[in-house]
Amino acid sequence: MTNFTEKLRNTENTHQLIIKQDNLLIKDYFCNNMETINPEEKKVNNLCRLLLDMGTLLMSSGANTSRIRTTIMRIASAYNYHAELLVTHRALMLTVYGKDKDLFFNRLKRTPPQEANFKIVSGISRMSWKIVEEKWSLEKVEKELGILKNISSYPRWLVLLAVSLAGASFCSLAGGKLIECTVAYIATFCGLFVRQETAKKGYNGYLCVFTGAFISSILAGLTVKYNIGYYPQRALVSSVLYLIPGIPLINTFSDLVEGNIMNGIVRGINGLIISFAIAMGMMCAILIYHI
Amino acid sequence: MDILLFILSKWIWLGFAAIGFGILFNVPARTLIPIFIMAIMGGSVKFLTIKLGGEIVMGSFLGATVIGFLSIIAAHMKHSPPFIFAIPAVIPMVPGAFAYQMMIGIIKLTDVDHAAFPGLLEETVSNGLNAFFVLLFLAVGVSAPMLLSRTESAKNFKLKIRTKQEQKK
Repeated sequence: MTNFTEKLRNTENTHQLIIKQDNLLIKDYFCNNMETINPEEKKVNNLCRLLLDMGTLLMSSGANTSRIRTTIMRIASAYNYHAELLVTHRALMLTVYGKDKDLFFNRLKRTPPQEANFKIVSGISRMSWKIVEEKWSLEKVEKELGILKNISSYPRWLVLLAVSLAGASFCSLAGGKLIECTVAYIATFCGLFVRQETAKKGYNGYLCVFTGAFISSILAGLTVKYNIGYYPQRALVSSVLYLIPGIPLINTFSDLVEGNIMNGIVRGINGLIISFAIAMGMMCAILIYHI
Repeated sequence: MDILLFILSKWIWLGFAAIGFGILFNVPARTLIPIFIMAIMGGSVKFLTIKLGGEIVMGSFLGATVIGFLSIIAAHMKHSPPFIFAIPAVIPMVPGAFAYQMMIGIIKLTDVDHAAFPGLLEETVSNGLNAFFVLLFLAVGVSAPMLLSRTESAKNFKLKIRTKQEQKK
């Protein structure tokens, strides 16, 4: 018995030894090969990663398809590479290859959820021209991109106040008097607050729009129900206008016209669903009040 | 004179509506003043067209085109892509009232007696088409300058003018 266990232990040991040796061999092989990967390849790989980072950032912050494509190709050609890009709504595919070498890299990256942020679009666009004109190194680009990713947005109270003021302005443009404008201001403020809160909790984007529209029109609908003011309907209309999908709708058109028809259709459907969510929110309030 | 008074009473609201959306879309702070001015100019053109007897679709189209061209100028002055200026500035012209009327009409159509149905349907379809065409022409107007210039980037506008000046020299 003891003989057997000893034998077993011995074979186990040899086994482990063999595995260890194998690991060492594999490690050796990779180490050697890592040295033989030429710096050129490393550079292309890095460039590819940075370009995809920029592309997905642009896509999620509301740039149209041709802008993404031209920006990426502009930066790639600044480093003497050629880039081909497949742009879809939720993922980007990029191939980078040298103009005179048969060396190419292919990568795919998923786009984060859409959230309008024009500071990032403007920053990347500005950076792309600087890269071309001032011949930036890749390290500098990476550093700058990191700064852009953490760019500050306006403080929340300012967003709330400014967007509410926009709601009141819509009401005034539609011919509302002071009372209606005040109602639109308050309804927009509360609706936007609720929408931001639900978005923070991570609910579905369309559901956030729905709740925002519902809260706004429940508040503004109260004045319609009890007929407060001169034209209470106008306050109700303008209290949900802060939700309109302006960026998707305008991007839809520019994508369709420039021949990126698939992206145009996808953006159009997205804008349509957002409009539908607003309508649903309003409809619920209207049906509750029997206006 | 009547028209001017009307616009004078409205211009500040056009500007505020655009600024609100600019802040919602997180535009760079340096672009807020151009957005304010562009929204006022575009909106004034729209009101002027309507007051002079034009259709609302035509007015929106002219207003959006003015904003589109101004956005190219602003893009050069403030070094940002033109659509960053154009989208917030064009939003005060969105036909909220038409869309609302259409939706109310659709809701009422589900529960209306036989005699009133055709009239209501007519009204609803008319409002809906108006909303759709105004939106469409806003988009056309905003992208008009880029389509006419046949360039992919606003920066090339400048380059072309530069080379012409250089040729003159």
